[in-house]
Amino acid sequence: MTAISTTSPLAGGDRRKPAAARKWWTPDTPAAYLLLLPVLALFAFAVVYPLLQTIWLSFWDIRGLYPPKFVGIGNFVLLMNDPTFRNSLLTTLLWTCCTTLFSVGAGWAIALLCALAPKETLVPRVLIFAAFGVSEAVTGYIWLGIYRADAGGLLNAVLHGIGLGQFAHPWLGDTHTAIWGLIIAYSWAQTGLPLILIFAAAQAVPKNVLEAAYIDGADSRAIMRSIVAPLSLPGVRVALFINLLGSLRAFDTIYVLTGGGPVRSTETIGYFMYRESFTQFKLGYGAAATLVLLAAVLVISIPAIIQRTREAT
Amino acid sequence: MIGKAPRWVPIVVWAVSIIWIVPLIGIVVTSIRPPADTVLGWWNLNHIELTLHAWQTVWSKYPLANGFLVTAELAGLGTIGSMLLTPAAAYAFHFLRFPFRRTLLIIIVNAFVLPQQVVVIPLFTLWRQMGLIDNILSALIPYVGLSFAWSIFLVKNFLEDFPKEMIEAARIDGCGPVSTFFHVVLPNSLSSIFAVGILQFLFCWNSLLIPLLFLRTNVPLPVVFAQIAGTYDANWDMQSVAAIVTTIVPLVIFLVFQRQFAGGALTNSGSKE
Amino acid sequence: MLNRSISRTLGRRALLVSASAAVLFAAALPSYAADVSGDLVLLNWAAGSEEDMVKALEEGFMKAYPNVHFKEINLTTQGDQRGAIRAALQSGEKADIFINTWPAFRKELVDAGMLKDLTPLWNSSAIKDNLSDGWKNLGSLDGKVYGVTYTFGDRSAMFYRTETMKKAGIDTQPATWDAMVADFGKLKAANVTPLAIGAKVWSHTEWFESIYEHLNGIDMAAKLAAHQIPWTDPSVKNALKKYAELIKAGCCGSADSMLAMDWDNASDAVLKAGTHGWQMIGMWVNDRAQTTDGLKQGVDYSITQFPAMGAGHDDVTSVDTKEFSEFASAANAPAADAFLTWITTADAANIVAQHGLASPSSKVDSSLYGPVIKYSSEAVNKAKPQFVLGDLLPGDLVDEYRVQLQKFLQDPSDATIDAVTQALEAKAATEYQ
Repeated sequence: MTAISTTSPLAGGDRRKPAAARKWWTPDTPAAYLLLLPVLALFAFAVVYPLLQTIWLSFWDIRGLYPPKFVGIGNFVLLMNDPTFRNSLLTTLLWTCCTTLFSVGAGWAIALLCALAPKETLVPRVLIFAAFGVSEAVTGYIWLGIYRADAGGLLNAVLHGIGLGQFAHPWLGDTHTAIWGLIIAYSWAQTGLPLILIFAAAQAVPKNVLEAAYIDGADSRAIMRSIVAPLSLPGVRVALFINLLGSLRAFDTIYVLTGGGPVRSTETIGYFMYRESFTQFKLGYGAAATLVLLAAVLVISIPAIIQRTREAT
Repeated sequence: MIGKAPRWVPIVVWAVSIIWIVPLIGIVVTSIRPPADTVLGWWNLNHIELTLHAWQTVWSKYPLANGFLVTAELAGLGTIGSMLLTPAAAYAFHFLRFPFRRTLLIIIVNAFVLPQQVVVIPLFTLWRQMGLIDNILSALIPYVGLSFAWSIFLVKNFLEDFPKEMIEAARIDGCGPVSTFFHVVLPNSLSSIFAVGILQFLFCWNSLLIPLLFLRTNVPLPVVFAQIAGTYDANWDMQSVAAIVTTIVPLVIFLVFQRQFAGGALTNSGSKE
Repeated sequence: MLNRSISRTLGRRALLVSASAAVLFAAALPSYAADVSGDLVLLNWAAGSEEDMVKALEEGFMKAYPNVHFKEINLTTQGDQRGAIRAALQSGEKADIFINTWPAFRKELVDAGMLKDLTPLWNSSAIKDNLSDGWKNLGSLDGKVYGVTYTFGDRSAMFYRTETMKKAGIDTQPATWDAMVADFGKLKAANVTPLAIGAKVWSHTEWFESIYEHLNGIDMAAKLAAHQIPWTDPSVKNALKKYAELIKAGCCGSADSMLAMDWDNASDAVLKAGTHGWQMIGMWVNDRAQTTDGLKQGVDYSITQFPAMGAGHDDVTSVDTKEFSEFASAANAPAADAFLTWITTADAANIVAQHGLASPSSKVDSSLYGPVIKYSSEAVNKAKPQFVLGDLLPGDLVDEYRVQLQKFLQDPSDATIDAVTQALEAKAATEYQ
């Protein structure tokens, strides 16, 4: 094994140099920014500009086409006192946790099973991924048909068919069941992504490791449990991240299935923001809601990212 | 996988997947039934009559074929853009040290939280001022720009398991950071790049809000889908056809390329630990 | 057929022509067909069969004025179309005319200075001969006309399926409230839920509005819409109590089933499945029943007007309208004016009638109406109209209104009525400029 030079930037910077000296310039800087330039440019357009605009908008009271009024932090104050917003925070928490856990959990389980028999499970993987490939709006329409309150809905029809007709219910009309119906529908669609990510990670386990374990006498179940499952964790991490943040942005499925109802029981922050910004055209208020959401996520993600980037050095 | 898998594994997985796609079967069946039958519910079996009417008429009534081409163009270009730019950025964030590294990473990754609706309104005004409405760039720039939030994270995560010895070997051989990237990291990261490609293709293909507002003359399939759902009519049959047409391509792409990123280039790293 | 041509820039030639036309006809005389020309741009959000009618109107106009070329800016919309219209207008889209169906939106645009005052045009052209003052008022704000109504719908009418009524033994439709409630019993005996109220989004508010108007008259309704009387006013509470009567009489099944139904599910339940008796919904269902459900107007289904409540205000009806309005910044004002005038003539009115909708024009050939539209247009013409509250209320209040009424349906007790009206009043206090 070659020795790692302690002065190489890859070793995390030269710890023997005084802190002030290595502040603003490293040998890597020109290369880094060259590689990053197109990314930063596109990012500036697509995200930074709208974000700045959003921050600016959040200080105004905008109602439709009427002239906007400057209100400073007025929108934020209103938000904090708005029971609808607080309600949407709780709904978002429930929604995000459940959809992420269900979809990543199911994806993980199925991925590990598929890893045991990769060739035979190709078609099932494609089928489950097909659910992910369908757009959010179409997912909504499909499950609308499943949750229909009368016997034309799949769920109720099946219940009637197997003799459990007394459980047939207007699923999307009951404030208690509507959110769960939504969660199941969305998780159904989102499982495909963790499935393929974790499956890929499980497949990436080096063959020599597996061979060694097999030679040592472990059967496939033991290999799965002690080697593949832990080694697939990177895939799980990525899947958790993408699904978690993706579910925060989920909109079309909710829009089609329940429209945020009944009685706003399925209104997440994303939907709240849509309603305020797009339907009521209270752009300032919607912008403020988005910033609150962003702040909440930053609080969680900044420490995580700092920790991860420190680890990597 | 080494060793023989228990027989119940494929059976269970198959069973799960069959149940999983039952809802999708619903759309396929709805597309071949007359709307009068399905208006009372897709699973309504009172009157079964099969017809290809929707399949035949939807092409002429709505710009579905054109939408297909537009979507292919948008998704294709958006995917290539992401696939080209993301690895370079992920490499820079992970292996290089430069000022603001952590700040930039935090900003980019957290941008994922921003719902599309937030991004779209300011961009609409900006594009209008720049005269870019109805120009393909007005959709491509947000497609690629917004993808970095998750794509950089994905590739960077993959790079965390990248053997550092290879990079050091390249450094010692005299490669600068950029050529290290092109000669060492890039060829061995193909699986994650393909993952980004497939996902980005999917997201671009299904994207509705951005092309809905920015494109007028040539609109992609999801917008056509929105058009088919007329204000008061229930064109379930034609909507189903549009949904099927919209979904088939990403699936085919996935089928074709899934081996690319499930292959695991890491096993070829040549390092023996 | 797929000619969705969109053009946002008018040619210089068109500008020159319309400028000289404007000069020549500055005395606001009706334009002669040969002199109105150029591009006429419509900001269009109609889709489906509505759009077919708009296209037919465009073609009819272009036949009458061969030098005009109609162009559209088509907005694909999701949900409330006003969002897309606002986005388009705010970002500088240029159009001459557009279709409006929300008086609240009309007010918003007028306050922003974006709509042209059509009063001079109305008074000096054939419009005043074709449309009565009632329609003039419905399209006005503070005494000035901003919209020319081209179609309207009765929103106090109840759709029913003839077979269902026969099965329940109801030979004549109820003319009074008490008769209707009594008929609930007959329907329930025939295993039919009396009313289909789609409370998922908005259609449950229809009942509240018709009840309120019949109990208190349209002046009170107008005051409520303008927040000149508070939502906690006893008139509102009494209307809600009357609504509660229906629910307590077993009209609608469980609250959950109402909340799971949108207006289209409710229509299907009444007209197709026959599981429900009546649905109070707008006239677009007439078209839907014929095209999607394949039913015959007047034979398989029909409508009946909201029953009399005996409070002295039974000569009212809730209506919705669609009007064409002209932008103050219209580039081709003469063509736009000509179109607004033409839309009230017999040719245009008959196109509307042929597409299964009612026209407010006095020149319409009412023999083109099917039985349902005939009945509804007569009912509206006989009564004092009040625009649907949901399209009159500003901004967030509409949404709150619908959600609070959902809460009311879940538990129609007096305590809930108090809570609901208080919440509405609290919201209304912040919503009126």
